[in-house]
Amino acid sequence: MIAIASHISNTKYRTAFFIALCLLCTLHSHFSVADAKVYIDVTSPAVKKLPIAISEFPGPSGREISDIIRDDLDFTGIFLVLDRNAFLEAPTQPFNPNNWTVLGVEVVVKGTVRSDNNSVSIVSLYDVGEGKEIFKKEYRAEAGLTRPLAHSIANDIYNQITNEAGIFRTRIAYITRFSGHDELSIMDWDGQRSYRTGIKSSLLLSPRWAKDGSKLIYSAERNRQWGIYLLDFKKQSEKKVFSAKGTNLAGDFFPNADEFALSSSMGGTSNIYLYRISESKLVRLTASRSVEVTPTVSPDGKYIAFVSDRQGSPQIFIMDKEGYDVRRLTFSGPYNTAPSWSPKGDKIVFSGRYSGRNQIFTINTDGSGITQLTDRGNNEDPSFSPDGRYIVFISDRDGGRSIYIMRANGEAQKRITPKGERAFGPRWSPN
Amino acid sequence: MKKFFVLAVILGFVVSFGCAQKKVVAPEAQQPTAPQPSKETVKPSEKVTEEKVPPIQSKELPSSVEEVSGMFEDIHFDFDKYDIRDDVKPILKSVSDYLIKNAGQRLLIEGHCDERGTAEYNLGLGDRRAKAAKDYLISLGVPSSRLDTISYGKEKPLCDEHTEDCWAKNRRAHFVIMKGKK
Repeated sequence: MIAIASHISNTKYRTAFFIALCLLCTLHSHFSVADAKVYIDVTSPAVKKLPIAISEFPGPSGREISDIIRDDLDFTGIFLVLDRNAFLEAPTQPFNPNNWTVLGVEVVVKGTVRSDNNSVSIVSLYDVGEGKEIFKKEYRAEAGLTRPLAHSIANDIYNQITNEAGIFRTRIAYITRFSGHDELSIMDWDGQRSYRTGIKSSLLLSPRWAKDGSKLIYSAERNRQWGIYLLDFKKQSEKKVFSAKGTNLAGDFFPNADEFALSSSMGGTSNIYLYRISESKLVRLTASRSVEVTPTVSPDGKYIAFVSDRQGSPQIFIMDKEGYDVRRLTFSGPYNTAPSWSPKGDKIVFSGRYSGRNQIFTINTDGSGITQLTDRGNNEDPSFSPDGRYIVFISDRDGGRSIYIMRANGEAQKRITPKGERAFGPRWSPN
Repeated sequence: MKKFFVLAVILGFVVSFGCAQKKVVAPEAQQPTAPQPSKETVKPSEKVTEEKVPPIQSKELPSSVEEVSGMFEDIHFDFDKYDIRDDVKPILKSVSDYLIKNAGQRLLIEGHCDERGTAEYNLGLGDRRAKAAKDYLISLGVPSSRLDTISYGKEKPLCDEHTEDCWAKNRRAHFVIMKGKK
């Protein structure tokens, strides 16, 4: 800029130029400095936990609501949730930052609940350091929706703090095994409010959500035939979308909710195919004499990771959507299967055999950074939450197969299906 | 010279605005000192709703085929393998003898695995075991059109214990005679 200025021979223009330059500089700095406070940058690797206090909400179901909010935020691992017994300020007292600075709390959640025909909650979020309210909202819900209400509040608080969408209203589809048949059920992400979809079969496997949450495909063995079926929530119907002689297993949907990947042994051994529902069109993607299963699709729909034993032992490979550019992803360990791609695109979670047992690992899509996340029992069939921050999987560490969730770094592993129930095949809803 | 000057100013503005748009927008700007909740702090009221999906009737059509199980012993396989072992060949011989004698009957061969692998890859192994048994029966003279296979992977174990004995029992191919129209 200065070099340009020196070429302006006419002094009048040169002065004007410099004035314009100064104007631009101030304009630029006005736009570039962030005025608002960023509480937590969830993308940064070493996050300091934010000390938060969640007061009990006075009113009908108020304690239940505030407990759910507390449990949701606690599971994220980014908050240091203070025990209510340490609070100095009663729930009904107005917010006073002096009651909180002594405890080291930085953010306070307070609310009240009242009932008319609906339940009405008014929730406020306070910044202790600034000494004032930074968020206030009213929520109305019909009776019986206490948990979704609390989860909605938790989502808003999470968003206010991190600027990201929370997953607290998401659900998990899964299969329960009874003696003689399997059933497809859906529960809240935390294991609550499980309900049966009505889908039954002698065997069920691999439910997979469409990215808009409007349907599920799954594999079912009926009358000695493996088929892929589609459950459409809008149409409230089940229909068979694919069947052929052999073992046919549903894989991930592509982002467009019309195409999905699958494996089929119709050609001899299991290979990977793509199926387009609207055209009833099947496209073969791999053609090998190896066993190839569990296709998982990258969030941009351009790549598919899958299991193949084409080089001897079952390992994870990646290819593009047309079946070209196949490259091997896993090189350590004798048996790496059950891959699932993170919705963030950067990682794949899988089950690897280690010292004779199956454990959950994550790996970057470039093959680097293998991280072991479990070490107890046998752990299989992992997949990510829609924000890529949590993983759901199955484990037999407590006896039979149950469904567990954890943070994507392996912390906070906990079982979410009842101990006596045989539950497996979990997949997190996209919304 | 004048043209150049104007161009530089315009370019400067474009660059400045372009850079501003790339910046991450942080959460709502805080109002300076107001103790009352401002318009930005108070969000619009929300009605929390949930779509209730009634249970769907799953349709499973009844089978028109009569199945006879248990006429033949299961054959067993080594861990992670699908080779036909010498010790199981007599069983396969008795199966082929029966099918050759009873030309109207079909055979369904089920392939199974022990619990140690993962579900989907084990379905592939079960496929291989069933197919290995089928190929061997074909080599003994059974027409392939009368042989069907299905894999159950590790989904239908005979026992649940985590012992070598139980695992060996589960690594099997099971034979079912199918009578009637398919």
